[in-house]
Amino acid sequence: MAAPPARARADYDYLIKLLLIGDSGVGKSCLLLRFSDGSFTTSFITTIGIDFKIRTIELDGKRIKLQIWDTAGQERFRTITTAYYRGAMGILLVYDVTDESSFNNIRNWIRNIEQHASDNVNKILVGNKADMDESKRAVPTSKGQALADEYGIKFFETSAKTNMNVEEVFFSIARDIKQRLAETDSRAEPQTIRISQPDQTAGAAQAAQKSACCGS
Amino acid sequence: MEETALYPPIEPSNFDLIVIGTGLPESIIASAASAAGKTVLHLDPNPFYGSHFASLPLNDLVSFLQSQSQSQSQSQFESQPSQTSDDYASTPLVTRPLYSALEFNSYSSDPIDSSRKFNLDMAGPRVFLCSDSMINLILKTEINQYMEFKSVDACFLSDAEGKLENVPDSRSAIFKNRSLSLPEKNQLMKFFKLVQGHFGSESEEDKISEQDLESPFVEFLTKMGLSQKLKSIILYTIVLADYDQGNLKVCKDVIDTKSGINRLALYHSSIGRFSNANGAIIYPIYGQGELPQAFCRRAAVKGCIYVLRMPIVAVLMDKDGGAYKGVKLGSGQELFSSQLILAPHLTIPSTLAPAEQVTTCHDVRLSDTKEKVARGICIAKNSVNPEVANCLVFFPPRSLYPEQITSVRVLQLSGNVAVCPSGMFVTYLSAICDTAVEGKKLLSAAMDALFCMPISGNSGNSETDNLCELTEGKPCLLWSTLYIQELTTFQGAFHSINYTPMPDEHLHYNNLLDATEKLFQEIYPNEDFFPTISVSDDLQDDGGSEQDP
Repeated sequence: MAAPPARARADYDYLIKLLLIGDSGVGKSCLLLRFSDGSFTTSFITTIGIDFKIRTIELDGKRIKLQIWDTAGQERFRTITTAYYRGAMGILLVYDVTDESSFNNIRNWIRNIEQHASDNVNKILVGNKADMDESKRAVPTSKGQALADEYGIKFFETSAKTNMNVEEVFFSIARDIKQRLAETDSRAEPQTIRISQPDQTAGAAQAAQKSACCGS
Repeated sequence: MEETALYPPIEPSNFDLIVIGTGLPESIIASAASAAGKTVLHLDPNPFYGSHFASLPLNDLVSFLQSQSQSQSQSQFESQPSQTSDDYASTPLVTRPLYSALEFNSYSSDPIDSSRKFNLDMAGPRVFLCSDSMINLILKTEINQYMEFKSVDACFLSDAEGKLENVPDSRSAIFKNRSLSLPEKNQLMKFFKLVQGHFGSESEEDKISEQDLESPFVEFLTKMGLSQKLKSIILYTIVLADYDQGNLKVCKDVIDTKSGINRLALYHSSIGRFSNANGAIIYPIYGQGELPQAFCRRAAVKGCIYVLRMPIVAVLMDKDGGAYKGVKLGSGQELFSSQLILAPHLTIPSTLAPAEQVTTCHDVRLSDTKEKVARGICIAKNSVNPEVANCLVFFPPRSLYPEQITSVRVLQLSGNVAVCPSGMFVTYLSAICDTAVEGKKLLSAAMDALFCMPISGNSGNSETDNLCELTEGKPCLLWSTLYIQELTTFQGAFHSINYTPMPDEHLHYNNLLDATEKLFQEIYPNEDFFPTISVSDDLQDDGGSEQDP
């Protein structure tokens, strides 16, 4: 559901909800933090404290607000809430090129998506940790590409550590979704109610702007 | 499921709190404890979130009800030899059946064929007033980011002739109402003003006297000169009385004026609270089962570990003192915690407990209330009122038959809240009752008033369907279920083991939330029940860092 461009005072033309999915330890949170904050850290073991991150990008003159959701560690025992998939427009399927089982599990994650996400959600396959020494690599690029071809989706190898291809992945899926939304935009979705503190809606955005510089 | 075998062992093996069951109260406590910095492990034997508060596909709902009903329970209650590990006494955890008198009727294969397109509430009907304490908690914990809602478009009261009358719940609704007489409109307007004056005014003159506040609300309404119809509207659709307030001798929940006007004020403050909500009442898209999931995600963001599809086979007790130590999982793993919280359908049978434990346990017994709640779910192709998609219908006492002493509450939802395929309608019914027979009689009478039953069990005969709908002007049932849910709750606890409340008979979560907060405070008397989040916490929408490419 793209926000209507005509919305008053909207600071974006499109709001796109993206999800990160994949096994524990493949670097989902690192990709997210690299893209949203430009930072990289190896210090956290499992995901604690990341709900979602926002970054607004510009594509073909349109401001696109990307809201990117992390799994909150619920992927570890395959207990991602069905609610996580609600309203997702794009999903980044992430595996670790040095961990073959994380690659093999991509098929399970795709089954999961087919069950819970909407049918037309855009998907992209991401082989992370591509900066690692070739001796440690367990999944050749050709295998990743073959899997992506099988599902008819795009494929990137990335490194959150060296910032290789991180921008490209997010921009690529955002571009595809924007195009899909532009083609189907005329179909008016019935309005849903999102609740917020009535007296804070205006203030919160301002406060957030101020705190943007000290985001973790 | 085969995936369980692939689970890595749970690490660490020691937690501050282990919670079993992902129903709403358990999920709120897991979330609150995680927010307070406790290490929490949240387990559920089911493959889905929500336990008895879940919203499920049709087939899953049927099998869950069956698995938790009396007919299936005997084997689970049989005592297993309590396996004793080296260091701890192990007491098997048994399932107490919550549902009974299950009844399923299928008149068409259409609903079952699209089973996965349904999100059916186990504990329906349930809605939110925009000013409900649960909405305040949703906002405070910022799980409003995980949820979307739709307005419930209308409320109807069934009158003695079975006609559905629009409920005039606000000034503008009174103005537009066509069934009230002019004097009635004036009476109601005057009464709403009186209540507003009581809360809004500084002057003592505008206050309702203490004596009146303590008197039964029904007497106060009579004193204020409200007609029978207006009294019914206020008592059963706004104040949501369960029992017949017109017969105070048999009424088990006489509502006093104070709570009556508090509820009325809450209702009125709900109107217009959110600028994009049409009335006082909202419902979450994808069903009420989104709510426990939202609290679980909140807990996960704060570090709570989630494992579903994981049976808990036993509770581990200290051999010497009988104190609670931990749990043994279906996987064989033993995990330890200072506190344990159990969903209401789980129990540690005291007869199986070693003697030492009995001496250390408080009074663990069922509370003496024998009431039950009868619930029903109906699926139909048409709306009970062609003008609205999502609505509430109230059958006050004596409206269905003379001996009816409790209200039947009904919530109809359409495909626009994503609980059923578009072109179908889901209707939830509930009533409090003393016996299963009474409960089923209540709900069946309400279903008869709202729907027509296809004559043949055979499905797909659209001619008879049409005939039935044409002659009676009521939607034809495609599928329905009735079940009786226990309301008894465990009182007291073993040391360090507590039980959460089960779904209650109410249309709202207010009582459940109060009980949950109380339980949290008993376990963690020194912790805030969700400390207020400061704005600088970067979890808010727009709070993540933004940067341009």
